[in-house]
Amino acid sequence: MFGEGLIKGLTITWKSLIGKKITVLYPDEIYSLPDRFHGKFRFDKDACISCGMCVRACPNKVITLETEKVAKKKRILKYEMDIKYCLFCGLCVESCPKDALGYEKDFEMCQYKWEKLPMVFVDEEPLPAEEKERLEEEAKKAAEAKKAAQEAAKAKAAEDASQGKEG
Amino acid sequence: MLKTQEFTLNMGPQHPATHGVFRLLLHLDGETVVKAEPIMGYLHRGIEKLAESRTYTQVIPYTDRLDYLAAMLNNLGYVQTVEKLMGIEVPERAEYVRVIVSEMSRLASHCLATGAYALDLGAFTGFMFPFREREKLMDMFEMICGSRMTFNYMRIGGVADDLPEEFYPAIKKFLKEFPACVDEYDGLITGNEIFQARTKGVSVLSSKKAIQYGMSGPVLRASGINYDLRKKRPYGVYDKFDFEVPVGENGDCFDRYNCRVLEMRQSHRIIEQALERLQELPEEEPLNAKVPKVIKPPKGEVYHEIEGAKGVLGYNVISDGTVNPYRVHVRRPSFINLSLIDEMCRGWKVADVVAIIGSLDIVLGEVDC
Repeated sequence: MFGEGLIKGLTITWKSLIGKKITVLYPDEIYSLPDRFHGKFRFDKDACISCGMCVRACPNKVITLETEKVAKKKRILKYEMDIKYCLFCGLCVESCPKDALGYEKDFEMCQYKWEKLPMVFVDEEPLPAEEKERLEEEAKKAAEAKKAAQEAAKAKAAEDASQGKEG
Repeated sequence: MLKTQEFTLNMGPQHPATHGVFRLLLHLDGETVVKAEPIMGYLHRGIEKLAESRTYTQVIPYTDRLDYLAAMLNNLGYVQTVEKLMGIEVPERAEYVRVIVSEMSRLASHCLATGAYALDLGAFTGFMFPFREREKLMDMFEMICGSRMTFNYMRIGGVADDLPEEFYPAIKKFLKEFPACVDEYDGLITGNEIFQARTKGVSVLSSKKAIQYGMSGPVLRASGINYDLRKKRPYGVYDKFDFEVPVGENGDCFDRYNCRVLEMRQSHRIIEQALERLQELPEEEPLNAKVPKVIKPPKGEVYHEIEGAKGVLGYNVISDGTVNPYRVHVRRPSFINLSLIDEMCRGWKVADVVAIIGSLDIVLGEVDC
């Protein structure tokens, strides 16, 4: 019979009238996001060892990392992500050996101003020369003190050992 | 004196029925198409050139942007090519994970093709139903790799991460419901008399022409040629699955559409089998082959092709022994399937042109590369 297919189609359409809705009203109800969701970036400054793996892993040169060397340690001056070029591929997060980079579940990254787009995680001035010298001196002293303490401990251990022999 | 003359009509680049920024310059005699000139390049981003200045791993996210409706298959094609070049054996568990995600991608692409085709022909309800399933698939992709469309999930030698715990119940629920959903599409779209009147016998593509022009995928199979790389030249672990290749008879728009619907049922079967085998394998088995940290394939050239959602997707990678590929070329099925558009449209009405483009299922990210 001609029109059979149309009637069958209509019954399918009408069936979906009853039953649970599968959509959510977005701003009021927020759909729960999975753990691996690629959203806004999270950067842990203290965990970062500024090895530069993320900078090298990025296919689009999104990440800028600037460091200075203070007392044999790298200090992060700048960590910035130019998010407008980001592909959200996750290669930087994957390459991080210390889990300093990660994702948050926030995906609302729109900005009104072009200049506000880059995500600046760290933006610090380099330390003044005196401060640097002071820190280096401190580090030197600490290292010497540590060395002296170690030597003292060694000497004490040797003394104990010789005493033990005699005893 | 009155006289008639041909006139030209630009269909696109912002026409919704061209599935992207594709322009078709139609030469019309009244409402009949005399000539159709495809004009493309509006979405050209030079991905092949970009790949030359990226390392082998960094190319993977760019392959996502080719056929963005079935990005997992693009990932698979590229990583398998590099693996072939380097001679890497992929662990079995990773192979099954790859099969599951790529068949899911094929389902997602075919769901869109089916729904968008119904929409092109004016059936809005028919568009919503396949999209419902596509949404579920994309939610699952989000669980696996954090993104809904541009996954970057495959890696050279394996996959980026194991399938998460919450994925298994979700896919099992989906697999249980899916056959009934395809029945719904059949009832809503395939069986609809208006739909059949618009598509049956429209723009018949003979098997000879289809082969001559290098057509592939559902477009070729609809013309009656049983050619599916998963069967003819199995890659990965595809030789271990039991599935059929749906083949059309007439090569008209209806057959091209129907091939995709039938293929969805077969993909469903493959996912079921792959999931079963994956769960039989011990959890401790590795997901990644041992690959050097810096990927430096030996000098040489390799071509590898897989069965993508739109047809045969091939990658040609040339290595000069450095960390960056010397040349990457992609054989994009959408681009090649589009090569016969002029001949297919000739003699048909403007309304049929929409049906013809829809039945080819092109995606402009892939056409322009």
